Amino acid sequence: MSSDAKWQDSAPVKYALGSIIPGLVILAWWLGARSGSAVVPSFGEVFNVLTHPFDEPPDLNSRSLAFSVMMTLIRLFLGFALAIATAVPLGILAARNHVVEYVFSPIVELARPINPIVLLPIITVLLGVSSIATVVYGQTEAWRHDVPDQVQTAMILILWYGAFFPIYTATIQGVRSVGTAWLETMRLMGADNAQTIRHVILPHTLPFIANGMRIALGTVWLVVIAAEIFPGTRSGLGYMLCTACKTSEYEYTFSAIIVIGAIGLVTNSLLRRFEERTGHWRAVQR
Amino acid sequence: MTSNTPCLSFSGVSKSFVSRDGEIVRAVENVTFDVPRGTVACLVGMTGCGKTTILRLAAGLETPDSGTIVSPSGEIGYLTQQHTLLPWMTTTDNIGLPLKVKGMNDAARKARVNEIMEALGLAGFGSLYPYELSGGMRQRAAIGRLMASESSCWLLDEPFSSLDERTRHQLQKLLLETAAATNVTVLFVTHSIDEAVWLADRIYIVSAWPGRIIESLEIAEPKPRDRISDAFGARMEAVRKRLEAAIG
Ligand SMILES: Nc1ncnc2c1ncn2[C@@H]1O[C@H](COP(=O)(O)OP(=O)(O)OP(=O)(O)O)[C@@H](O)[C@H]1O
Ligand SMILES: [Mg+2]
Repeated sequence: MSSDAKWQDSAPVKYALGSIIPGLVILAWWLGARSGSAVVPSFGEVFNVLTHPFDEPPDLNSRSLAFSVMMTLIRLFLGFALAIATAVPLGILAARNHVVEYVFSPIVELARPINPIVLLPIITVLLGVSSIATVVYGQTEAWRHDVPDQVQTAMILILWYGAFFPIYTATIQGVRSVGTAWLETMRLMGADNAQTIRHVILPHTLPFIANGMRIALGTVWLVVIAAEIFPGTRSGLGYMLCTACKTSEYEYTFSAIIVIGAIGLVTNSLLRRFEERTGHWRAVQR
Repeated sequence: MTSNTPCLSFSGVSKSFVSRDGEIVRAVENVTFDVPRGTVACLVGMTGCGKTTILRLAAGLETPDSGTIVSPSGEIGYLTQQHTLLPWMTTTDNIGLPLKVKGMNDAARKARVNEIMEALGLAGFGSLYPYELSGGMRQRAAIGRLMASESSCWLLDEPFSSLDERTRHQLQKLLLETAAATNVTVLFVTHSIDEAVWLADRIYIVSAWPGRIIESLEIAEPKPRDRISDAFGARMEAVRKRLEAAIG
């Protein structure tokens, strides 16, 4: 094809093409529901769950959809924030200081390929029932604080682990690729270390970090749901979809899956926007 | 003006590089010259002869293999051959960066940056990023940042070569005025004989491989010089002859 304006590039055609496969999935769902299968809920049942997010499920040993989403997001946010707060400074340090690099790079290379979910059982055993609430309010008082008591330290640790490496690696890559000419410029200007980091290293590395965050979020989003399916949890989207399967309330399983997809989509595109904003200057080379 | 104390001085400076495949490149050899305080010296020579290396040595960004360099460290403003504006900062922020690093407050910095942008014809472009500027505007922004740095010794690597003639002449004039007003010492690299003869108190001709200073010509005519005068033409002719002899 050599013509410039290709037929497939107009917006309506693009959307139509992009809808084919989701359309087939919905068709399969509809056919499944019609066939009378007990496992496949009708559109109406799922729609009903999604539009009443604050209703407690009647037979299900789980809290409302909204509460489940909140718990999952709190865990995700804490693990993710902890990963950013540690991976970025450590990455900057390791990229600029050989001693730090030599201390951390072997353990990082060793730990990186280990799937965080693999570590979940052992970490859960090690840390037991400890949660944000037991840490903050103590063992005996923790049960009074519902939400923080359901944010298990083991889970935060696993999420931190899942998010740390992509962010750490991206930070190092960003710092290493800062042009020497800029560093020399700052040196001649009389800038100290902190000023060089603030005006050159961080702004240069930020789009790299944003990209690492996006990759990390992809991992962590899988990990948090998987971790919630494990025993020892009483809430979250993973918990909801799993218990709903056990009690055959599949409309909750389907709703949870849809919400998981939607949140993944939104957070990913937010981070993509962040990446574009922090890296707008990279787009044009001339 | 104590124009006899050198601000910048090289004596017997040599520098070689080892290329990736292990070959030794003798970039500059036994380079000796001074730039007296408040004067303009031009380095003229063919491409690859070691001019940028001399500037980097003067800035302290390279260490010489032998010889000694006296330079006012902490007082050096270096305008590199390829601009080093920070791509994530607007023109205003780029120009104001040296002042920010020094800790000048926002209001004073803004006023000074506006003044500089006005002088360089950049007014109205302050909010643009370097990639949104034309090549010549970027070069002027880099000059603006140099002016903001308030250093006493400027090392300029072909700063005006990408500009149109009219702008180039304007900026040459601005350079001389600024340098005279603030008693800045200038070491200026150029390929243009016209530029060297118009700006310099002294021209150094650099030979290639290894880079050596093979001629030193003093130009005593008062500034600003008249480009269409016979004396100016004769000067240019003389420099050209020596340069050609040097390249051989
Ligand atoms: N870091 C380096 N490693 C190896 N060789 C180098 C390095 N820097 C410079 N050289 C060599 O030193 C010589 C002088 O280079 P320099 O950049 O000083 O030339 P120049 O006079 O500024 O040239 P131009 O007019 O093209 O800018 C060249 O042969 C170059 O290849
Ligand atoms: Mg050069």
